[in-house]
Amino acid sequence: MKHQCLLAFISGFLLWVGNANSQDMPLSQVLIEGEGWEVAAEGFDFADGLCTDADGNLYFSDVKGGTAVYKVDLEGTMSEFISDAPGISGLQWGSDGRLYACVAREQRVVVFDPEGAETELVNEVRPNDLVVTHDGNLYFTMTPTQEIRRIDPEGKMSIVSEGVVTKPNGITLSRDQGTLAVSDHGGKFVWAFRVEEDGTLGHPGNYMEMRTPVADPEIARGDGMATDVHGRYYVTTAEGLQMFDPTGRMGGVIATPDPESMLVSVCFAGPDHAYLYVANGGKIYRRKTKTSGALFFQKPKPAEAP
Amino acid sequence: MKAQLSFLLSFALFSSLPAKDEDYAPGTDAMPKEGVPRGAVTKHSWESEIFPGTVRDYWVYVPSQYKEGNPASLLICQDGGGFVRENGAFRAPTVLDNLIHAGDIPVTIGIFVNPGVVPAVKEGQQPRKNRSFEYDTLSDQYARFLLEEILPEVGKSYQITNDPANRVICGNSSGGICAFTAAWERPAAFGNVISHIGSFTNIRGGHVYPALIRKSEPKPIRVFLQDGENDLDNLHGNWPIANEQMAAALEYAGYDYQFVMGTGKHSGRHGGAIFPDTLRWIWRDWNAADPEN
Repeated sequence: MKHQCLLAFISGFLLWVGNANSQDMPLSQVLIEGEGWEVAAEGFDFADGLCTDADGNLYFSDVKGGTAVYKVDLEGTMSEFISDAPGISGLQWGSDGRLYACVAREQRVVVFDPEGAETELVNEVRPNDLVVTHDGNLYFTMTPTQEIRRIDPEGKMSIVSEGVVTKPNGITLSRDQGTLAVSDHGGKFVWAFRVEEDGTLGHPGNYMEMRTPVADPEIARGDGMATDVHGRYYVTTAEGLQMFDPTGRMGGVIATPDPESMLVSVCFAGPDHAYLYVANGGKIYRRKTKTSGALFFQKPKPAEAP
Repeated sequence: MKAQLSFLLSFALFSSLPAKDEDYAPGTDAMPKEGVPRGAVTKHSWESEIFPGTVRDYWVYVPSQYKEGNPASLLICQDGGGFVRENGAFRAPTVLDNLIHAGDIPVTIGIFVNPGVVPAVKEGQQPRKNRSFEYDTLSDQYARFLLEEILPEVGKSYQITNDPANRVICGNSSGGICAFTAAWERPAAFGNVISHIGSFTNIRGGHVYPALIRKSEPKPIRVFLQDGENDLDNLHGNWPIANEQMAAALEYAGYDYQFVMGTGKHSGRHGGAIFPDTLRWIWRDWNAADPEN
């Protein structure tokens, strides 16, 4: 009897602590000893816009010198996926099987169908990066104007955040797609917004504080973002690839492959989407991890316990 | 004097036993006693503006001895739901019943506040948990939340003293560093801190407190710290070392503090077991026969 009481007591207490304290998520849950960065593609001016499809193929752009959307397949072979598509800074596949793109140079957001035919969604905008929800809402950052804009499934554009993030840049979702996260290139926070039922953004919070350079303590240079199946957020910064747990606590900083070049884009791709890919100057690097990426063109799922 | 002695004795007891975490348990002060009047606990919810979009529950304990016109002392606890639970590690309402009745502590209103969440809008989505942001961040935001939102709301119904010496803020883990941060930012509002297994580690930069304490003009805060030798050692830091650093800094800077290091883990069990004596230590200058002094 005494034993039973004690057990009930302990389990009651664990329940409380379990609710109060989210599980700690160190880098050791993600990185594999001996599996460092390796070059996945090279020869670019400024690789950017990394994204993946359901099979794990990698797609990206060369925003400065490139003329195409490039693809690296699961065998590691690179090809031009869409020719004559220069100046792209952000790419994401939608649940409709089309590839959405921020054409920064031409100040347009476009979509490519599976045959590579382009349709313009909006023009006279300053798009940097984007994310597309499973239900077809596209959110993109307008870094110079401090805006986040939305293009709804009917193609109508609206401003969903203005003046909150100093230089909104990278953009991702929680795995359940209920929270939108935007990195600040001109500050030190990753901001979290609630995706409201009508697709607007509510309740911004400076939820994640990025590590900043000692010489520039207020500016982390937050850039590209990704999410994994456990709800962890990844953001490229001046200090490296920073990882945050779903409650906004920094879990660690993954070293930049080439610290002499800017780290600007990140996604999970490759077999089982278990490889982290980053754009780092003229090269794309990858490394195998113990986790895998959340795919927003798939049905939203709750984050899995690690 | 008597209270002080039993306090010292119980600390000696707890520090000398090779206790496992499970061996710490609530004592008789946390059990309802015949003839001791029970205060009322009511549950409320709150939508915050200082933490925009968050909702949370909180509980208010009002002792039966409370009389309008006599402002009560104050105990605020983070992760409030755990502190009010009748079979929990703390059982704060019962402890307050017993200690107030015995004349060990003044008539005290307890406010037990849960951390906020930004609720999910669709089925299957998780709320955005705001606990770490609210508790681990080194800023005055949480203190302002209490002073500008919760206390004015409770103050509509009950009078609470403005004397910081009779206002206590308490918490466990991140709630512990949160208690310290609130007092550090607003010592005129919170003159006493109780931290159990406090996260003075680098969750969101809280590891800097020992350094700040040593190089800041001392603040009028009385601090009680509890930790256990088997507390966490993880990516954020080492809890026992962090709490030792806090105690050493408080000692160096001349604070009125008490540090109890037990053998427990990252749980509230040890803090709960000694909670009544901790409250007696906090209010050790208070005199039931001379409540004004």
